[in-house]
Amino acid sequence: MNFNKPITRRESIRKLVKLSGSLAFAGAATWPIQKPSVAKAASENKKFMIEGIRQNEEYSIKSLTRTVFEAAGGIHRFVSNGDVVVIKPNLSWARRPELAATTNPQVLEAVIELCQEAGAKRVRIADNTIHDARQCFALSGAGMVAKNTGADLIYPRSSLMRKMGLKGNRLDIWPVYKPLIEADVLINLPVAKHHSLSGLTLGMKNWIGGVGGSRWSLHQDINQSIVDLANFFQPTVTLIDAIRIMTRNGPSGGSTSYVSFKNTLILSDDPVAGDAKAALMFNREPTKVAFIRMAQRQGLGTYDFAKLDQQKVVL
Amino acid sequence: MKARHLVWLRRTMQTLFLCFFLFLLIESRLPQDIYVDYSVAFSSQQDLRLDQPVAFFFQLDPLLGISCLLSGYHLIKGFLWGLAIVVLTVALGRIFCGFICPFGTIHHTVGWCKPALKGNRMVRANQKSPGQKIKYFNLIVLIVAAIVGLNLTGLMDPIAFLFRSIALAILPGLGVGLRAMFDTLAASDIKLVNLFSYGAEILLSPIFGYSFQVYQTAWFIGILFLVILFLNRIRPRFWCRFLCPLGALLGIFSRFSILRLVKHPEKCTECNLCVKYCQGSASPRPDQHWETAECHMCFNCFNVCPEDALGFRFSWTPKLTKKPDMGKRAILGGLFAGFSIPFLGRLDGQIDKVSDPRLIRPPGSLAENDFLELCQRCGQCMKVCPTNAINPTLAEAGMAGFWTPRLIMTQGYCEYTCTLCGSVCPTGAIQEITGKEKIEQPIKIGSAFIDRGRCLPWSGNAPCIVCQEVCPTSPKAIYLKKDVVSRPSGEQLDVQLPYVDLKRCVGCGICENKCPVRGLPAIRTIAAGESRSLKNQILL
Repeated sequence: MNFNKPITRRESIRKLVKLSGSLAFAGAATWPIQKPSVAKAASENKKFMIEGIRQNEEYSIKSLTRTVFEAAGGIHRFVSNGDVVVIKPNLSWARRPELAATTNPQVLEAVIELCQEAGAKRVRIADNTIHDARQCFALSGAGMVAKNTGADLIYPRSSLMRKMGLKGNRLDIWPVYKPLIEADVLINLPVAKHHSLSGLTLGMKNWIGGVGGSRWSLHQDINQSIVDLANFFQPTVTLIDAIRIMTRNGPSGGSTSYVSFKNTLILSDDPVAGDAKAALMFNREPTKVAFIRMAQRQGLGTYDFAKLDQQKVVL
Repeated sequence: MKARHLVWLRRTMQTLFLCFFLFLLIESRLPQDIYVDYSVAFSSQQDLRLDQPVAFFFQLDPLLGISCLLSGYHLIKGFLWGLAIVVLTVALGRIFCGFICPFGTIHHTVGWCKPALKGNRMVRANQKSPGQKIKYFNLIVLIVAAIVGLNLTGLMDPIAFLFRSIALAILPGLGVGLRAMFDTLAASDIKLVNLFSYGAEILLSPIFGYSFQVYQTAWFIGILFLVILFLNRIRPRFWCRFLCPLGALLGIFSRFSILRLVKHPEKCTECNLCVKYCQGSASPRPDQHWETAECHMCFNCFNVCPEDALGFRFSWTPKLTKKPDMGKRAILGGLFAGFSIPFLGRLDGQIDKVSDPRLIRPPGSLAENDFLELCQRCGQCMKVCPTNAINPTLAEAGMAGFWTPRLIMTQGYCEYTCTLCGSVCPTGAIQEITGKEKIEQPIKIGSAFIDRGRCLPWSGNAPCIVCQEVCPTSPKAIYLKKDVVSRPSGEQLDVQLPYVDLKRCVGCGICENKCPVRGLPAIRTIAAGESRSLKNQILL
């Protein structure tokens, strides 16, 4: 190209149009190429559920997390080399970790490290929070975890919401938080706590933090909404953090007097089973929790523990 | 020092100070890379604070310090900076206007890019005019009103004016446009475009803030700013010359200046270049008497004079320079207006008698009367508020409280543990409190009440507990009672009905913000019950 020659306005417009056209073509051409999902293939096997309990305080929460994953056959079973792993913790509230309103940062850190060791290309932490995201991430410890491990902390933005058909019984078109659907491996990392409407906040309910829009109206039919969302997202694996659980005044809590130490982690690839097991810790029958019952009926999983490959590890 | 060097020194300083001002303005927000060490957070409550001294330019402003001292008998934090500027002015004249003031720099730049007039017309326009007395009138009005007890300084103070205009109107204006662009690009089906737009958004988000903020009445703030900028087309540095009260104050102090313009009339060829380039119409021509109080110390006349007929010299003889030409009318008018305005401001009874339910002040605000003695309406708290709840008032605080901060709960809410607004307030109208104080005292900013006709469970439309769920106090101020209501179709519906416990409610407004009943929410917050007022209470 001759740069010395002056370029006319018409010429420059023509060139710009050509350039953007070819860019658009290149983008469109690469768009449909996507990795086939690995999660579906594994689902034919018998599902598992692992309960890890830390009785000896000498063991760290991190080592408990590692042991639980090892019992499931190692992190390599879920994360392969070069995967983009997205972790969905529950960071809804700007509360300190000791108040058990958010996912334990030590568990989060351990999971990220495991994924990185398994060769994940990228580990992302993504949650559409209720309080201001900056303060949620700072106070819950997730910011520090991201800094220590080098994981990406994705801030919810309006440009990251994409309208999608959820194909649920109750929910149809809804803005979905994009990082969650662009993951090779999606790990659900909720905290187990009380909730004033649905009874409990566990794994399946965590997906309310995966959508945007007027999500406050979901509460008008909360149980069906939870099931619809759980059906849409379908994580590779769910790890329920029950190190501390909030037994009253949920989901936001605000006092350590509502918090009790359980030192437990529940890992399962069956979203219903994990929630059912966690519900037992609150002394609630899984059948009495509406969204667990409905989820089993819709075939998302089972709370019949006998059908699962069950393990219990104690440290 | 050669004149050319002096002018370049001035330009460098102006650029540096303007950049520093804009940097501090942009930094007046919660950054995204805040890390709280969670192992420390277990034992102690950490308050989130900004790293930069964002109130620095307000401390540098002596007018702001003096008005707070006169009205609220309160020495603002960092008032020594303002004192330093006064001392500097006594020594060197209005060097603040020429070298430091970011608002002045903007006017200077506008006038330099596109001079108001050309050639001889500029020379004629740059003669001293009676309009220059207006700034003394403004100064006297503000000072007298402050003494009587209403601090309106921030409405005209250049630092507050500039901060408010850029933080509440210019930046959000650009931000809203950018956000629309990013959202459109993100919705595109072309991956590459998505990637580019997201990258650009991440890159720009430290400037425009993580959440693109908007403000009520910002259109008016923006228009006023553009009009003031446009006035530079009429006269160079129109604002500084005719209107600026800080310039007037510094002009008065410049009488003692030891740095003086020395004229050599015998060398003068009356080319009028000095007059043409003068920024303050300070009569620089050797056959005229130099107006120290009008001189911005830009050193243009010194620089352009081809005959060396002008020079700046230090003169140690204790002689006063020419008196600032205020004029009797400006003084008397200023006294009269300054005395009347605080009383006119009370005529609507907003301060003593009625209090608007919508006037929810930021947490830590002083009682209304004391608040208006200190608040500069600068917009610092509005800029820093992470949820965008704090907005400038229009009529909610009455005429006296125009553009003072108030919280709009449908736009944001007061984050339970956040105390940023008080930590950045330059005058202490919003006291700096800790998160612990805010929660434990507790500092209430209002109270919530339920509109049962709108509320979904109360009206039998649907079960909902959102207000109770988001209520941050412990135990929650919103509690639920199980009940059976009838749906519009007549069938029975099991619901939990929300109630507000006024004793526990702090008025943070998150319930109003998250209520699924859009438009006019079914639970709303009013200012009554705010702990800063003894009178505006509900409970015994």
